[in-house]
Amino acid sequence: MINKLNAFLTFALVLSALALVKTQYEGRRLFIELERTRAASRQLDIEWAQLQLDQSTLGKHERIEGVARRELNMLALTPERTQYLSMEAK
Amino acid sequence: MMRGNSGAARVATGKGVPFCKSPMLSVKLPIGRSRFVLFVLFVAFAGLIGRALWLQGISNDFLKKKGESRFAHTINMPATRGKITDRSGQVLASSVPVKGIWAAPEDVLQNSKEKLRELAKLLSMSEMDLLKKLDSDRNLVYLKRQVEPEITEKIAALKIEGIEMRREYKRFYPQGEVMAHVVGFTNAEDVGQEAMELAQQKTLVGSAGSRRVIKDRLGHIVEDIAAVREPLDGKDLVLSVDSKLQYIATMQLKEAVEKFKAKAGAVVVLDVRTGEVLALANYPTYNPNNRSVLSGQQLRNRVMTDTFEPGSTLKPFPVALALDTKRVTPNSLIQTAPGRMTIGPATISDSHPHGVLSISQVIQKSSNIGTAKLALQMPAQEMWELFTNSGFGQPPKFGFPGAVAGRVRPYKKWRPIEQATMSYGHGISVSLIQLARSYMIFARDGEIIPLSFQKVIEPPQGQPVISAKTAREIRAMLESVVSPEGTAPKAQVPGYRVGGKTGTAYKVVGNGYDKRKYIGSFVGIAPMSDPRIIVAVMIDEPTGLFHYGGDVAAPTFSAVTANALRSLNVPPDSTITNIIIPTDGVQESM
Repeated sequence: MINKLNAFLTFALVLSALALVKTQYEGRRLFIELERTRAASRQLDIEWAQLQLDQSTLGKHERIEGVARRELNMLALTPERTQYLSMEAK
Repeated sequence: MMRGNSGAARVATGKGVPFCKSPMLSVKLPIGRSRFVLFVLFVAFAGLIGRALWLQGISNDFLKKKGESRFAHTINMPATRGKITDRSGQVLASSVPVKGIWAAPEDVLQNSKEKLRELAKLLSMSEMDLLKKLDSDRNLVYLKRQVEPEITEKIAALKIEGIEMRREYKRFYPQGEVMAHVVGFTNAEDVGQEAMELAQQKTLVGSAGSRRVIKDRLGHIVEDIAAVREPLDGKDLVLSVDSKLQYIATMQLKEAVEKFKAKAGAVVVLDVRTGEVLALANYPTYNPNNRSVLSGQQLRNRVMTDTFEPGSTLKPFPVALALDTKRVTPNSLIQTAPGRMTIGPATISDSHPHGVLSISQVIQKSSNIGTAKLALQMPAQEMWELFTNSGFGQPPKFGFPGAVAGRVRPYKKWRPIEQATMSYGHGISVSLIQLARSYMIFARDGEIIPLSFQKVIEPPQGQPVISAKTAREIRAMLESVVSPEGTAPKAQVPGYRVGGKTGTAYKVVGNGYDKRKYIGSFVGIAPMSDPRIIVAVMIDEPTGLFHYGGDVAAPTFSAVTANALRSLNVPPDSTITNIIIPTDGVQESM
């Protein structure tokens, strides 16, 4: 009787030990994946900041005005050439 | 025989004696000796076991620590400095991670000449400079800070022994010189040095975090062993500035300073409804991305940190006081002939005698005599109170580093001549932003509100200074200043009703005025039917043909205002689109 119990307990112990190893392994694997995703998110943040900077640099009013005047031959608008529409006029 | 003998002896030594017959075994030792050896061995083992128990179980901290240091690491997690954006979200300052390049001189010098030459080229320094930097006793010297990613990748590809790269941040200012005086800049340690970068350092900087981790053989992080202290990134800062308006103001100012051969100039645009600073431009300016050559002249923020005698731009204040206390009405007449007046030891004068003027015309023609006569009718204390309530001489509260209070002397010390000259802006010093803000009392029907450099969500509560009726009367007078009969027809804006006041003053140098150096200014409100913005322009030391505020500052006001109203989508309130500027305008008095 005692022997049977012992055998059973030994078996259970081995199972539990294996389960522990498996869980530990799984835990580490998931952790590494999490780390990788975090790093990717940081990288994307950096890229986003860089793109915002680029947008601001390219969207500089100085540059827009230069391009509009030189390349597109545009002129600044003046009130004489503006027709204002008001809601009440309808 | 001899041979046989010697042969036998050799055999004996060669073969030896079998162990069981060894004579040593037959030697009888005292029993105590072997017991003693046994005892010594026992004690030695007991000592070993005791020591092992001690190290493993009882005092194991030290070893644990040693063990941990082999696989556990603390990783610093730097916080990113917050971005600064304008009111519409356009990025004005942003930090991007870069690398600092460090070198261990001994190791680096082991590398081949070609590699070092290549390295010097990538770091854009001469080989001589590189070798000079490496000629050091220290373990680690830095070669270059804030190197951009493309270059660090190339350096890494060279695989030079002894080169180390450390993570740093570099701050970029995409709008460059246009925003320099509002945004400011940080130093190499990411600490704010000027303007908003300095003022908001605490909220922008955030706090670094750290984590304890276990790393495996390959350097991958395997596990966190303590709670992670997350880094707190700096908060983003949304400024009140409109980058489009700021650009317009900077360009117009630059043009004016160059056209009138002035030393410097400044423009500030305020939102009447919220007290937000929409634009703040200085010229000369600098590029915050490249500060290798930077002079005090460029750094100087004339809007905030310079005070000057405002001259005639201050005239509406004594007039408002006289109207508010019902001493006069806009149509009351005042004799300004013969254009000269002696008060005590001094004589003040108008540039042209005007004869009898109404109160409105005193402002329109900018008569010194008229304002002085009005001021002398009023108690000094009342004038002082109006100046103080309008913010003059008061420490500014807009959280901008270096903002000055200006100077209004205590009224008890005013002599009559001082009271008279102060009424037209002499003997009192103000900064351009104070001057612009003080016009709030006219633009906001008598109220003054605090200014803000950050985007305002809820409009602030105003403090009443003068009555709404007086404010409206003064506004009508200010509008007449830009008419062809006033001192500043050049300030007119096509399609909109605007108003304002010119100012021209000699610069104070040492104890007196330098009569060859002027400051021309103009402060205006637009549009008159429902004021939205206040624009103040100051041109410092114009040396060309013109030096009056109506000539040097008014055109800049007009250009900035026209563009500002258009970009703010303010509907026009006037049908006049052709502007007539008389050839011989009225010159204001100084």
